[in-house]
Amino acid sequence: MTKEPSVISEWLHRCIRCGNCKYIFRDYDKSCPSGQHYRFESYFASGKIWIARGIESKELDFDESLLGPIFSCPTCGSCEIQCQAPHQEHIVDIIEELRAHAVETLGPLPKHKGFLEKIQKHNNPYGEIHHNRELVNIHGLPDKAENVYFVGCTSNYRETSIRDATIHILKTSGMNFTVIDEVCCGSPLLRTGQRAEVKKLVKHNLVKIKEAGAKRIITSCAGCFRTIKKDYQKFEKDFKLEVIHISQLLPSLIESGRLTFKHTKDSPRITYHDPCHLGRHMGVYNEPRNVISVLPVEMVEMSRNRENAWCCGAGGGCRAAFPEFSLATGKVRIAEADEIGAELLVSTCPFCVSQLREVNDTDMKVLDLTELLSSLIR
Amino acid sequence: MIIKKLCKVVGDQYVSESTGERYIYSQDMTENEPCQPIAIVMPESVEEIQAILKIANETKTRIVPFITGQNVGGLTIPQVEESIIIDLKRMDKILQVDEEAMYALVEPGVTFGHMRRYLDAHHPELRYTYPLAPPYTSVVANALLQGLCDLSTRHGAMADFVNGLEAVLPTGELVRVGSGILGEDNWFGRYPLPDLVGLFSGWQGMSGIVTKMALQLFPKPPHIEHAALFTFGEEPTTEILKRIARKQILDDADCMSLSLVKMLLGVDYPVEALDGEPDYATLIAVSGNTEREVLEKLSVVEDEMERAKSKEPRQLLVTWDAISKLMGEQARSWIDFPSDAFKILTEFDGLTWVGTYIHPKAWGKALAGGRKIVERYEFELMAFLKPMNGMHFAEFKFIIRFPKDIENIERVKRCNSELLDFALDNGAIPYKTPVWAAKKLQERIDPQFIALLRRIKRSLDPNNIMNPGRWNL
Ligand SMILES: Cc1cc2nc3c(=O)[nH]c(=O)nc-3n(C[C@H](O)[C@H](O)[C@H](O)COP(=O)(O)OP(=O)(O)OC[C@H]3O[C@@H](n4cnc5c(N)ncnc54)[C@H](O)[C@@H]3O)c2cc1C
Repeated sequence: MTKEPSVISEWLHRCIRCGNCKYIFRDYDKSCPSGQHYRFESYFASGKIWIARGIESKELDFDESLLGPIFSCPTCGSCEIQCQAPHQEHIVDIIEELRAHAVETLGPLPKHKGFLEKIQKHNNPYGEIHHNRELVNIHGLPDKAENVYFVGCTSNYRETSIRDATIHILKTSGMNFTVIDEVCCGSPLLRTGQRAEVKKLVKHNLVKIKEAGAKRIITSCAGCFRTIKKDYQKFEKDFKLEVIHISQLLPSLIESGRLTFKHTKDSPRITYHDPCHLGRHMGVYNEPRNVISVLPVEMVEMSRNRENAWCCGAGGGCRAAFPEFSLATGKVRIAEADEIGAELLVSTCPFCVSQLREVNDTDMKVLDLTELLSSLIR
Repeated sequence: MIIKKLCKVVGDQYVSESTGERYIYSQDMTENEPCQPIAIVMPESVEEIQAILKIANETKTRIVPFITGQNVGGLTIPQVEESIIIDLKRMDKILQVDEEAMYALVEPGVTFGHMRRYLDAHHPELRYTYPLAPPYTSVVANALLQGLCDLSTRHGAMADFVNGLEAVLPTGELVRVGSGILGEDNWFGRYPLPDLVGLFSGWQGMSGIVTKMALQLFPKPPHIEHAALFTFGEEPTTEILKRIARKQILDDADCMSLSLVKMLLGVDYPVEALDGEPDYATLIAVSGNTEREVLEKLSVVEDEMERAKSKEPRQLLVTWDAISKLMGEQARSWIDFPSDAFKILTEFDGLTWVGTYIHPKAWGKALAGGRKIVERYEFELMAFLKPMNGMHFAEFKFIIRFPKDIENIERVKRCNSELLDFALDNGAIPYKTPVWAAKKLQERIDPQFIALLRRIKRSLDPNNIMNPGRWNL
């Protein structure tokens, strides 16, 4: 990784801990999953910023008791939306830098270390047998293509129906695409302070993409999307490839008539969950909604939506290391969707979908937008 | 040992001895010296608070109540080692709103933002009153600290809105004061009774833990108008303010150094005062049941400004219409309380002031003298003066925002110390008083007052467990 300037020292003297990061600005509803769950000050963004300040100014030394507050945060970024102070755009970066320092000093959390070990051994954090390239044969994909569909580990090894739905959509709409011998994008390591290994992963993926002759990367995972589009530049200054999330491609496929949908008798009540990595981290809010608006469904919004959406609780390494907190956070989101009478809860991230499915104890169905679309394609 | 007992009361997950927590709760944004507590406990019910205080009293453990620590006076920083902080933010229920007698009964963790959200959703005809503070600070703590808000020019300090309260004494007993002593749903006021709200109001958590408070609400007026006065000179500015405030038509009047307005407009730090620009901007709010009533009130203000102009033609009244046209949407966000204007005070991790309540005769002198001190220390000019309770007195302070490093902390300490000496010379009483300021005050005030305080403190808190050392007692 090219040596980045320290965001902690750049914003060292900014946060008065006014608490604005704790609640939705001017709406006053809850916004911080971690703070809301644990309640102590160090679990809110402002508390973490002060811990970072304490470490940086040497008033504080790392010890085990700091690890909970530092790592039990899905880095959903709601704090960045609510904060009104000058450092507002840098809070997630501050938390991630703090995590990296913690890892340098105390080592990664055991569960997070597991990600690294599995990635080193199997190229994915799930420890599944690496098989991405087989998709080429299964789906008859070319060796070289304009577009690379970067499948992502969660779609490839857990929520495989999202992978299959995405390939179905891309094939149906006649896209010129292939998949590469991809390895983990690096997101689970970056989000958990384990930066050292990421460069290798970035390099591998970029070489393979280049070999495929692609000009554009399409992801179906919000986490991969954020990582490749935003973080890869920090490792490869010359990284200039276009990166889009499938939800950004869909409107043009629909408009151009390359995707058409069946007429259905009923139009289920549907709500959309903004993945943090797609929404707050990358500013993609409208495209998934635009797609939903042309489907035979009745769209209703949850009370917290778009930049104020409540996180599913899975990200930032929380699902592995803090399952109780993570699942409780997801349950809040399920309850919010259930409250408005949604029959379908749709998202655009396999990790969110997986988490919401896991905690769903209602009759509501949880689907990825690609799955929904694929089922409706004529 | 005590930690184990506390865990039994509130559950392990609500007791923390962690390094991070102890660091964060050991300090605030002010220059006041940090002091680490040994633990932080987070109760959820009155019973839990009673149990905690009984244990603390038996073991002579020192307790500091905390809600969000945004008092800008170092008031939640323990003054003695080995203290335990009781964080009350889990007690965040609005228990009752009485539409007829217009009050809300709330727990200490309720914040201004939540009060606003709740009233808008359930009682849209009623309003509470809001400080220029971040929205997530405690309503109860601010009333206990006798703070000021956007109805203070009309109704006085927030402690005056307290109809009664419930508190756990340091020895664990639960007491109520105010009309609520005659049963639930009866918190209409504090008189005619011995006024024991005073055992808790202004005590900075030294006399017990308030667990419920009944606070007056106000009808939301159908018509509200704002305007801004831009004025030159300290004496002329305060003369205008006094004349207008005496008419008893204002809901609110915030007189501030023009720099504060420039900060709102986005001028970068450090904001400097320029020759030829007005010295002060005063934001006023008037309300009424009819538009005519509001316009009549505004015309009284206009008349006073005309009179002022005959002496100094540059004194200016600008309508809110004009300001909105100039500023667009953000102008609305400054006057829609809880206001966004607090943002300008979150520039750095350091924020402080010497806040005082002051006699009207000293307003002009206070602004002029304070200005000289602040300029000498090369801080931005951020004076603030609010006529309170008709115009019986005013709140007066110089705000300082600063990067909280060693050099600035030392400079701030010296500046604030001079500001306080100067304020005391002018008969001003500091509010939300840090210990260093309480010491200075005590050197000058009637010793019998301090003796009385000590007697009351001893009788309520025989083992001196509640926030010992605070107010230099
Ligand atoms: C930028 C900014 C602007 C501000 N502007 C204003 C303003 O315009 N007007 C104004 O009045 N204030 C203002 N304040 C101050 C602040 O808003 C209030 O003092 C605040 O509401 C107090 O709430 P808190 O949660 O911070 O209390 P804390 O700081 O947590 O507690 C305050 C004090 O009360 C004690 N205490 C807390 N709870 C209890 C309890 N249940 N029983 C007994 N004692 C208790 C504590 O021990 C402490 O001594 C401002 C603050 C900031 C940061």
